[in-house]
Amino acid sequence: MATVQSLYNKDLILKSDAKTQEEVFKEVGSFLLDKELVNDEFIDAIIEREHNYPTGLDLAPVAEGLPNVAIPHTETEYCKTKAVVFVKLAHDVAFHNMIAPDQKLKVNYLFFIINDEKTNQTNVLSSLMAFMTNEENMRNLEQKETTEEIYEFLINN
Amino acid sequence: MIKILAACGAGINSSHQIKSAIEEEMKKRGHDVKVDAVVVKDINKDMMDQYDVFAPISKMKFSFDVNIPTVEAGPILYRIPAMADPVFDELENVIKDLEK
Repeated sequence: MATVQSLYNKDLILKSDAKTQEEVFKEVGSFLLDKELVNDEFIDAIIEREHNYPTGLDLAPVAEGLPNVAIPHTETEYCKTKAVVFVKLAHDVAFHNMIAPDQKLKVNYLFFIINDEKTNQTNVLSSLMAFMTNEENMRNLEQKETTEEIYEFLINN
Repeated sequence: MIKILAACGAGINSSHQIKSAIEEEMKKRGHDVKVDAVVVKDINKDMMDQYDVFAPISKMKFSFDVNIPTVEAGPILYRIPAMADPVFDELENVIKDLEK
């Protein structure tokens, strides 16, 4: 079973100045489209999908003061590969809570799950969850500034 | 045996994780359950009627009335006891009622 570590790619560790969800989805979506990792319907699909089934995760239950994260993803038909695209946001971006959609969260990190295989049984989600619900991991992640540092940290934890 | 329907929005198999977590924990607690995992858009009334308990990732609306007990199971995905245990406790209470 592939772990999430094997799904990170040096070129897919990004930083964004976007201030809204739509802005960051368009920015990351265009970048992935240029690299031919998603198809041209991906951006609309992920915006709609996030609206209907939000993916924000509140990390307050793990420890106080942790940054929140989101795991945007969409149906396999819009993806052309398997990868986790990491985005460090310069500003808080509002996302709704995956397990309580009425609730809004301020999110600082995004882990886009790109998956083109319906039958793929790899448990990317549980692997990501294990990473994020570890307080030390999230505190360490906060200390990483460059995309190189972030990449090294993500593939080793 | 209690039949449970787990549901999520598709793409990353979260309902499968809810399924395996519920089966493991309820077995540990001595209950005979079977959980099926589906994506929300595939659910219709006929399907729902075949189950005893509905366990969606979060609150969900349907065009029909859901007549079986619903336990929101999203917090299970955190895989930390502080989040998961209240869901398991609520689910176990529902199951105990059904077993009577």
